Amino acid sequence: MSIVLKFVKATHYILSKVGRGGSLPGQLALMMDSNILSKFKMPKEVILVTGTNGKTTTSNLIAESLRQTGKKVINNHRGDNLNVGITTLLALNAKDDYTVDADIAVIEIDELTVYRQFHNLHPTALVVTNFFRDQLDRAGEMETIIRRIMEVTENFEGRLILNGDDPNVLRIAENAKKANVYLYSVGENEVSVKETDEASEGKFCPICGNPLQYQYYQYSHIGRFECPKDHYGKIRPSVFVNSIDYNKGTFTYDNNEYHSFINAIYAIYNCAATLTVMKALGFDPTLADEVFQHYQLKEGRNEVFNLKKPCVINLFKNPTGANEVMKEIVKHEGDMNICILLNDKDQDGHDVSWIWDAHFERFNIPQVKKICCSGTRAYDMALRLKYEGLEDRIIVKENPQEAIHWLNEENIDSYVLATYTALHSTRTLLRKEEKQ
Amino acid sequence: MKILWMYHNLMDLYGDKGNIHVLKMRCEKRSISCTVDTCTIGDSIDINAYDLFFLGGGADHEQSLIFEDLLKRKDNIMEAYKNRTQFLLICGGYQLFGAYYLDQSGNRIEGLNMFPYYTESSDRDHRCIGNIALEVNVDGETFKTIGFENHGGQTKNVDSPLGRVLYGHGNTFDGGYEGFVNEQVIATYMHGPLLPKNPRLADIIIKRALQKRSNEEIILEPLDDTLELKAQEVMLKRLNVL
Repeated sequence: MSIVLKFVKATHYILSKVGRGGSLPGQLALMMDSNILSKFKMPKEVILVTGTNGKTTTSNLIAESLRQTGKKVINNHRGDNLNVGITTLLALNAKDDYTVDADIAVIEIDELTVYRQFHNLHPTALVVTNFFRDQLDRAGEMETIIRRIMEVTENFEGRLILNGDDPNVLRIAENAKKANVYLYSVGENEVSVKETDEASEGKFCPICGNPLQYQYYQYSHIGRFECPKDHYGKIRPSVFVNSIDYNKGTFTYDNNEYHSFINAIYAIYNCAATLTVMKALGFDPTLADEVFQHYQLKEGRNEVFNLKKPCVINLFKNPTGANEVMKEIVKHEGDMNICILLNDKDQDGHDVSWIWDAHFERFNIPQVKKICCSGTRAYDMALRLKYEGLEDRIIVKENPQEAIHWLNEENIDSYVLATYTALHSTRTLLRKEEKQ
Repeated sequence: MKILWMYHNLMDLYGDKGNIHVLKMRCEKRSISCTVDTCTIGDSIDINAYDLFFLGGGADHEQSLIFEDLLKRKDNIMEAYKNRTQFLLICGGYQLFGAYYLDQSGNRIEGLNMFPYYTESSDRDHRCIGNIALEVNVDGETFKTIGFENHGGQTKNVDSPLGRVLYGHGNTFDGGYEGFVNEQVIATYMHGPLLPKNPRLADIIIKRALQKRSNEEIILEPLDDTLELKAQEVMLKRLNVL
């Protein structure tokens, strides 16, 4: 019988009574036993989900779809994807002998944590969504992350579920000698383009170093690519999603129609990953459509607050994510204000230079009336916008509370972009403003 | 002003392209014509025809791709240097202009050998990462600059550093001095990018570059740098070096 587990569960019980969740239980567990993650007796299926963008949404879609099959599934649904969050998930679902009480665990895991904890978690499947530049000061160069994940998967005998349209992710498949590889790919559609100014990674064939050729790009460097020399990228996907109809919000896989929870190309990729997991585990993929149709994005992902006029908040944390969110925002009809909260705390990354790699010129349209910059690096953000000809529309309010209050008082439609550590506090501020 | 942006599609880590935005806008606001040309592997271009040569940082793989191409251009670079072209070199660009680079396996990669400094890779515990503040001394002006450093390479034997480190590491781990400067070169590990929050340094670079084709002293009219200086002040304050 484990005292640590008993203590952790008691802490969780007390916290939930006072209306607090969070990963304090996991924090305590790790303090009492730093090796605790290696002690759990894991469920029969353990699916790890990692990558730069889309981890939280994808792992939730997978967990919900698997629940449709009647299995008992646990997952860290709020995106607590570091040691602490994962420990919390497992400890709260473990019996006294450390047996995790579930048929399947779906674990979202940070791309830096995944190679450190890979063997401890005994995965049976690894899902990798994509690799973009993200928080380089914390992560080191993306290249290092990819190499380390390739190291731990080299002799992995489970299932690898990989985005076949990302040249960086596909490298894992090339290197894995013993795994069962399942690739997913998305067909050309309305948003696909022949040329792009967004792709900064994956320009070259990882095998021969020659430039990759793209039939089309979906967003950033995600698309259908192939090396003209050694044909790296010529894939036979297990799941090929096609016939995307953005008006109806539908797409097709294996002659069945599915419904996307949001009309965006990256969402289609999240769905494709989920369908591939269903197929790889031998479940009926069509069960996932129920989930896709009704899935509510998690807090801070396209979440609407009822200020005097509607206000939509989104997380932004790297150039690719920022570009995709901006593409959505500029589709808005009518005038709008924007509030950007840029923090540089540990989880955001201390280096904010990535804002110079994102296409903020997209905001230079007449519908954008004012842009309020806030957060610990408010002036860096303001300066970035100045260089896109937005000088006359910039307002700086370093204090987020003042920024959000201003946004409400302006009384027009608005959008908020917040980095990771600003997201939840800003949501709290928005909720307060809603009540006024 | 004619700027040559080298390997724009390969050496563009950490928002270094922001430096180009800054130089361009600061010229345009003063009605100084400014053109930016790009040059990548295999392009034929005469470096000597430019007032400013800009080379940013890249990931290891990209850096290894450009290295041979750059060495092929050595004579042209020497010629431009002789004819007073200015050089702004960040991170990888800085390293490549030195004598050599010693990688983690001990392999010696030859640099352009324009200057006697050299770079050795460091172990994982000595990577220089974080906010950095300097007191720079360029062309008789002394002022503070800020940036973000992120390099494993330890650059040694620098006879004339760009500045004294007020906060951060610099050329080597806990080194005390950062970058390299002479009459024609400003070389540094500072990203951020470097120029948006350091307008005074940006203007020195513009002045120097314009001087290539002018015998009269260049005087730049002042610009409104409120946001620039505020962004700088926030960081200097936080680092306790204001």
